[in-house]
Formats: sequence, C-alpha cells, structure tokens
Amino acid sequence: MKDIFLDAAINLKNRQVVKWKKQDKKIVGYTCSFLPKEILYAADIIPYRIRGINAEGMDIADAYYGPFICTFPKCMLQLFGENKYSFLDGVIITDGCDSMRRLDECLRKAGEDNQAILPSFCHYFETPHKSDSHCIEWLIDGINIFISKLNKHFSVEITNEKIIESVCEYNKTSELMHDINELRQCDDIYISGYDVFIISIAATSMPINVFNKYLVEYITELKQKKEHINNKKRIMLLGSGNDDISFIKTIEDAGAIIVSDNLCFGIDQHTKININNNDPVSSIAKHYLTQSTCPRMFGGYNERLKQIYENIEKFKVQGVILQNIRFCDLHGSENGLYETDLEAKGIKSLKIEREYGSKEDRGRLKMRIDAFLERLSNI
Amino acid sequence: MRPELKEYNFDWMLWATTEIAYKTLRGTEKEYKKMLNYMPYFRGLLDLFVLYGEPGIKFLELIKTVLSNIIKAHDNGKKLGMTTFCFSPIIFYAMDIVPVILEPLTVLPTVLWKRGTFDYMDYCFELGFTETSCSSQRGSLGAYLANLCEQVDFIVVDSGGICDTNANSFAFASSYLKKPMYHMDYPADLVSQKAKQYHREDFKKLIEFLEYQTGKKLDISKLRSVLKETIKQDIILSELEELQMIKPNPLPVIYNLFIYAGRFFSTGTPEYTELLQAMLNIAKENARSGKSGIIGLNEKCRAFFCYIDHYTADARMWKWLDQHGIAHIGCILSRFYSDRSPYIVDEEEAYKIETASLDSMIDSISEINARSPMVRTIRGPYDAPHMWLDDSIKLAKLFQADCVVYNGTPGCRNTWGMVKPFARDVEKAGFPTLIMYSDAFDDRVQSWEATTERLDEFFKIRRLI
Amino acid sequence: MNIVSGCDIGSLTSKAVILKNNRIIGSARIKSIANPVESANIVIKKALDIAGLNKNDISYCVGTGYGRELIEGVSDTMTEIACHAKGAKWLLPSVKTVIDIGGQDCKVIKIDQNGNVIKFLTNDKCASGTGRFLEVMAKLLDLKLDDIGKMSKKASSPIIFASTCTVWAQADVIKHINDGRQVPDIAAGINNAMANRVAMLVRSISPVKDIAMTGGVAKNDGVVNAIEKMIGMKIKKIKKADPQLAGAIGAALFADSMQK
Repeated sequence: MKDIFLDAAINLKNRQVVKWKKQDKKIVGYTCSFLPKEILYAADIIPYRIRGINAEGMDIADAYYGPFICTFPKCMLQLFGENKYSFLDGVIITDGCDSMRRLDECLRKAGEDNQAILPSFCHYFETPHKSDSHCIEWLIDGINIFISKLNKHFSVEITNEKIIESVCEYNKTSELMHDINELRQCDDIYISGYDVFIISIAATSMPINVFNKYLVEYITELKQKKEHINNKKRIMLLGSGNDDISFIKTIEDAGAIIVSDNLCFGIDQHTKININNNDPVSSIAKHYLTQSTCPRMFGGYNERLKQIYENIEKFKVQGVILQNIRFCDLHGSENGLYETDLEAKGIKSLKIEREYGSKEDRGRLKMRIDAFLERLSNI
Repeated sequence: MRPELKEYNFDWMLWATTEIAYKTLRGTEKEYKKMLNYMPYFRGLLDLFVLYGEPGIKFLELIKTVLSNIIKAHDNGKKLGMTTFCFSPIIFYAMDIVPVILEPLTVLPTVLWKRGTFDYMDYCFELGFTETSCSSQRGSLGAYLANLCEQVDFIVVDSGGICDTNANSFAFASSYLKKPMYHMDYPADLVSQKAKQYHREDFKKLIEFLEYQTGKKLDISKLRSVLKETIKQDIILSELEELQMIKPNPLPVIYNLFIYAGRFFSTGTPEYTELLQAMLNIAKENARSGKSGIIGLNEKCRAFFCYIDHYTADARMWKWLDQHGIAHIGCILSRFYSDRSPYIVDEEEAYKIETASLDSMIDSISEINARSPMVRTIRGPYDAPHMWLDDSIKLAKLFQADCVVYNGTPGCRNTWGMVKPFARDVEKAGFPTLIMYSDAFDDRVQSWEATTERLDEFFKIRRLI
Repeated sequence: MNIVSGCDIGSLTSKAVILKNNRIIGSARIKSIANPVESANIVIKKALDIAGLNKNDISYCVGTGYGRELIEGVSDTMTEIACHAKGAKWLLPSVKTVIDIGGQDCKVIKIDQNGNVIKFLTNDKCASGTGRFLEVMAKLLDLKLDDIGKMSKKASSPIIFASTCTVWAQADVIKHINDGRQVPDIAAGINNAMANRVAMLVRSISPVKDIAMTGGVAKNDGVVNAIEKMIGMKIKKIKKADPQLAGAIGAALFADSMQK
C-alpha cells in the first residue's frame, strides 16, 4: 500500500494537506457524498471530506448534541472543538441525514462559544431527497448559489470550462476505481478490502490529480502481483458511513475479505458524470440525485436491492454484513429489509449495530463476525 | 408478537373501544355508573371525558367516526391512504380517500391501554425495523406490518427534508407491505417564491399520484367545499387561540389535544367544526366569568410545550397539569399558521385559503402542508427565521408563558440534534426551560413516576408553582 | 485415550467440561475473576480434579467466550454461538432453536439437524435481557440470583415494570420496595420485564420447535415460564446436564471433532 494513501487515510492533516497549505492554497471541508466536490476543485480548492476518526472524548460534542444521536457527526464536532480542523478554510454541511444536518447548528453554536474553531467560510448545502424534475431544478439553483458564494469569498471565478476540467479529473478517478473493482471480481484476490478502503478514503482528502497519478502507479503494481489473498470468505459490506479503516481490519482479521461495499466513503461512490459541455451544472445535479445508493433517497429500495443482487453475482459474494451505527435509522431499517430479502434468496447475512469511533466495541463486534464466518464455513 | 394480540384487529379494537365509550357517555348518569363497573380499566379515562362535557363527547364522536371510516373504507368502495400527522388530509377528503394517520393511531391506544402499543412497537423490531426510530410511528405501524388492520392501498408522506425518521418509517412500510408511495420533499426555506413554486410542483405531482391510485379525477367542487369548511375551522381556531392568550387561560388543558388530534384526523369535515365550536362555547363562557380552564384550581403557571405532549395511559399528563394548576398553552402540534391566526406577524409566514380556481386551491393546500406542525418548524436550522426558536419564543411571549417544556421521543434525531443549544437560547430569552428525557409514547424509556419527578423538580426549583 | 476438554469463559461465570467417548467425566463452574486466563486455569483444574486427571491427559482443548484467545493451553477457539449451538444439540437432540441468556448478552440461535448455526441474533448494547439485569435486581431485593425464580412463583400480583432499562428499572424497584409491595410480586415483575426483552429477540428469528434454553438464566423457572407465555411456544427443559455448561460442552465436542 502506498504510503501516501495510508497517510491520508489515518491522519486528518496528512502530508498532502500540509504541502497544499504551504502553497497558500485553500481546503474546504464537507460532510456528505452529496456535495458536488467537482465545483470546489474547479476553484482550485481541495474538497476535504470531514471525518470523525481518533476522537477520544465526547465532552465538546455532548455540550451541543443530545444523547440520542449517531456518534459519527458527534465525533466530527468533537474534533472541530479540539481544533483538529484548523487547516480548513471553509466547511459545508449537507443535509445528508438529520443527525448530520444538525451539525450545522451545533458547529455554529460551538463557533460562537469558541471563535477559533470555525473556518471563515460556512455554507449549508441542501439536497432534495428525490430526483423529480423540480428537485433537479432546485439542486441546480443550489449549486449556482454555491458557486457564487465561493467566487465571492475566495475571489475566484468558477467557469464552465473549469467545472468540465474538474469533472474530467474526477471521472478519471472513477475509471481507476472501476479498474480496482474489476480486480476484486477475480477468483484470485489481488487487494484486500482494507487497502481498497484506504484508497477510497485517501481520494477524499488530497488533491485529486495527485491521487490519480499515484493510483495509476498502484494499479499497475497490483496487476503484476503474483501473490493473492485467497482462502478468505468473500464478504459484501453494506450500511452506515464508515471512514475508519480499523473497522474493516476487524472484519478481515477474522478471516474475511471485503470484495464489495456500498458505504459512502467506499469505492462505489466514485461514478462517472456524463457531462454536457453546454450545461455542466445540470449534468452534475442530475448525476448526484440519480446515482446514489443512500437510503436518504426515499422510495429507492428496490433499485438499491437490485444493484446489490447484481454485485453479489459479479463479486462472487459469499456473505453480506449489514452494519449500522446506533441511531442511524436510515441504514438501520433498510438493513432489516435487506436481511429479510437476502436470506430469502439464500444469501447469508449478518446484521449488526455498532458505535462509531469506539474501540471498546471491537470485542463485541469480533464475536459476532467470527460467528458469522463460522456459519459461512458451515462448521 | 404475543399470540393473543393476533386475535383481534388493531383498528377494530380501537373502534370498538371508542364506540362503546361514546355510547356509554351518551347514556344517563345511572347507566354510565353501572357500565363503569364492567370496565374499571377505563374508568380514569372516561371520567376525564365526562369532566370536559360536550367537547369531550364530541371528540370521542370524531375519533369513533374516523375509526369506523377506516375499518369500513373498502366495504364503502373507498381507498385507504396511510399518511403522517403533518400531512393535511384535505386532499384525501376531497378525493374520497380515507386517511390512516399513524401517529394519532399510536396516541390513541397509548392513552387507552396500560401497555400502550409496546407489543406493536416490538413487532417492528422483530421485522428488522430499527428500535431507535421514532415511537410515534412504530406503535401503529407494527399493527399494519403484522397485517392486523384493514390493508392500506398506498402511502403518502410529506416529511422528506423535514424528518428522516418519519419519512423512513413510511418508506419501510412501503417496501415491506409492497404498497406504492409518494413522498413530498421540502426545502429548508419556507417563504420565498422559489419555495412556493417547489411546494406547488410537488403537490401537483401528488395529485397525479392520487388520481392514478384512485382511478378518479380530482373533484374540484368537492375540494372547494372541504377548503371552505377548513376556513370556518380556521376562524373558530383563531378565536380559541386569542382566548388562550388571556390570563387565566380559559381553555381546559386537554383542549390542545382535541384541537390538534381533530385537525390531523378531520380537517375540512363537519365533525371537526362541531368539536371546535363546542370547545369555543366553553372557553368563551370561562373567559366571560374570568375562570381558568383548569378544573377546580386557579392557574398557577402557564407552560408552553415547545414540542409534543406526553401521551401515556389515561391521559395522565393532562391530569397532572390540571392537578398542579398548570395551564397548557399549546405545543408545536397546535399551531397551524393560517392568515387568521392571532400570532401571525408576517403575512408571508401564514397560508391563505383561496378557492377561486383550481390553481389557487392547489396553492392553498400546498402552503397549508408547508406550514403544518413539524414541516414548518424543523425544516431549516433551528435558529433561522420562521423556524423552531423564532416560533417558540414568539409564541411563548404572545401566550404569556411562564416556562417552556420540551418533551419528545428518543427517536427524534432532529430535536436531539439541537435541543441543547435551543434550550440555551430559550433560557436566554427569559423562559425557564426543561428538557425531558422521556418518550411521549413509550414509558419503558422513562417511567411515568420518574417523569413526574423530573417535572415536579423543575416546577418547584424554578419557583413556577 | 480420547479425552478432550472445552472451556467457556463468560463475564459472570467460567465453565469447563472434560469429555471422554462422548461422556462428561468432569465439569466445573466458577464465578469469573477479572483475569480470564486465571479464570480458565482455575476452572479447568477443578474439572480435571473431578475427573481424576491432569492437563497432560487432555489430547485437545477448545476455548470459547470473551478472551478465549488468551486461554493457556487451548488447541483452538470457537465462538460461543457455535459452541452453544453444538452443546445444546448434544443436550437435547431435538432442539432447533436455542435461547442462551448469559451474564452480559442474550443470544438466540437457529440450528440445523447437525447443530450447525443457520441464523443467530444477539442483543445489542443493552443489559436488559441478560443475566446482568437479574443480578442487579437480585441485589436490590437482597436475594441470591438463583432465588429470584423460586421467589417469583409465590407472586399473586406481579408488578408491571415500565422500564426495561436496567438503570431506570432499579429506581422503579426501589420505589416498589418503599411502597411495601411484596418481594415475590417484584421478583415476578422483574422476570416478566426480562422475558419481554428476550421474547422480542426470539420472535425476530421466527423460532422453530423444539426450543431450549441454555446459560445460567435457564435455571430461573420464572423467566422461562414468562418467555414461554410471550412467545406462545413451549421451552423444553434440558435434563441431561447443567444447561449452563452448554458452551463448554459444545467447545469439547468441537475439540473432539477437530482432533480427529
């Protein structure tokens, strides 16, 4: 695994971020995969996906968030409160889910109490929950407003040409991720889920052109690999967002290999945008509202299930782990539906609930994963 | 689910209970006392309705009519549409669709039965639905998922962009029951022209969906008549709200429940108009004689419930308020923001009903929906104009609240996501504020005894009573 | 000599079983101490002493439970889910659904005719529905854990507990004690509250007959009867050996098949 990717996956202020800042360039954080990051990159800003890893306490987060809230945004707030995100020049909160969208208020209030923790540019980016024509119109409008605010605050000019260039760069990423996915479908396993996750997380926290350059090299090396990781149970991982590679490690150390996932920090989030050069903003809006696998897009269960069945075939999945962070109602419930439908088709599944960020949870999770893998082996 | 619960349909049980309760209350006093010997379990609740006189009986009549319509819908050739409390049923009544509204159908057995809807909530978990989701849907939802009700034909929900937990419950129901669903989506902004256009487009698509599901075109004259009835109701409501502003509050504490439960179930129906009128008569009488709506006591304190009430067995929260001389001056569920409401400051924050043309009527109902409880208040950041903080402080001031109480459910991701800063800001505005950790629909989360201890503590320590 | 052993290190109790030719020749159960390695050493020694053997006589040992990888001298480890399934099958060959209520978790396992796990469910992040809940309540009532079941049989009017949360339920129990409610009624209420939580988990797995209970709580008739009422199905009593040993028995059975 390339050190550059690992560094980006385990460190918030990774070396690429430091290098970028030394050039006096900007980095803007965002919370949700629905944010069109291509727009930020078009302004020569790194779109940096905000994470919650390594949050030790919850004292700051608990001062603003109530108790019955998913720990993922709580950890993010905690890190902001501890000034771990001081390198950001802006933050964009999206209404990915209710817990995440309230990060907007909690962060602003925390910023009133401690002005040092809030970047100078803060924006709330709304995304509809369905893809009807008036919803796409709303999102187009929202993106245009976003562009004007960026132009004004950062004294840049985001033109259509720059957007197209940015989309092309991100489309390159999608193609490369597609190549990795092709490798994961092979009988011989070239790459662990852990390494795939490191790569897909790294893509969210460094300049994408740098990322693409190193990924090309890495894929070339990978294809030439003679040693494979076989004799492991091929697992699909579904559910709540996860940016913590140690969670993936917990699963794989038990004797599994994650060959497919639909997680929102995962590889499948990188899909190509069909860009209309005359109206790139519309293409982006349409893409983001129609290509998601997130249950926040209500009413799309059947389509998501169909995609899962297809991927189970393609990636030769032997078992599915459905995980959700406690209080994640969207994934928590949809996982229940998936479990019923998958088991009815003879696809073995394990549904587990976990806390985000708590290493103490690992023992409990390990026991359940071990038992599931035993079940797959029919011991 | 416990096997004995599968013997009777959930909706039938509720209808039978309210039907018998209504008949009992309509009898003579001697008959009433005799009947109570055979149903001591319901004594506390029935006595409460008797205490509130004609409005109590009218409310029971409204509920039993609603339930009767549900269980007989298909026999009567009508479609059953499952929906949420914050979706105004006007369009359903205009299209002869019988609404099945999950949250009040959870409230009803929660009030009636000691076990509330525990078993049905637990059944949701058995099917894989997360137990951390809002209990307001889970109670009755469990019964529908267990096929212990008249089957619904389709689902309509308007909480997209407002409340994931709510929308998610209906999305789960749609997938599990394999019923078509239309979900409306709301942007954070309430009043801009752009938002109005969005509401309008979404509502038009809803009408198309309903026309397809029912096989009937929207009857414009029926819609007009339902809206005209709603205007009558808005006029009476505004009078009730004005009365509620005076000291002492002449409205009995439980009238809030009657107001919003009636609104959720029966907006635009004559039954609701009659209920409102009966309440107004009593309230006016109390106001004329300077009497408080609290039974047997003077008003010691005025509490604004900034979110929802507590519904567990025997309507004991209202009894508790009554016993302690605490006037209930409304909650998030009892404000609807018609242009006639006395608390409207900006014209743009209210809806206006225009019945001149189909377009104006569609605009009216889409704006009614955009301002319905919860859809209005938590669609954007809590501290934005026309949102939760703005509304709560404005209402608390206008209605002369002495304190603000937050009660909800652990399933409410939205409010638990910002209730602490919200409470801080409300305190700064001069209102002692209590955050309750109980569940309005499930006292397994926090027992009623523990809940009243917290309430007692708050009202005493803050020297409110 | 084909002598194998199984060791199950739980949060409340540790168990060990010595198996020879498919017969239990020694078994032991102790209260777990903080160090799982120490617990394992003590309980294995006790079982060996009862069998009149020493550890060199054991040809294969499988460990299970939390901390199983740390146990000295184990040849292999298996999860407690697989072990309880195997053990329950040995204890009651007709069993298809196993309810195991241990110290800190509650598991429901569906098994096939060979004792292999078809599906399992566990409680998540909640002590109610586990032995811990009963332990806390027993302490409040000044009863031994084993006596809660016996006491509840004398109940005439069981309390209905509003809270299933162990923390909140403690406050409720104290209130009922102060109100002068009879201990049997409180004990019965505790059993019912626990049973309700467990029954929810059982129903989620769509149980199939025969159903059996393992783990320490299997010996609490009050809880067993309450669960039976709630799921509407009979729970068959395990008589062949102590049901609390199911995990250790299953581990020993795995040891037997692995060494072959």
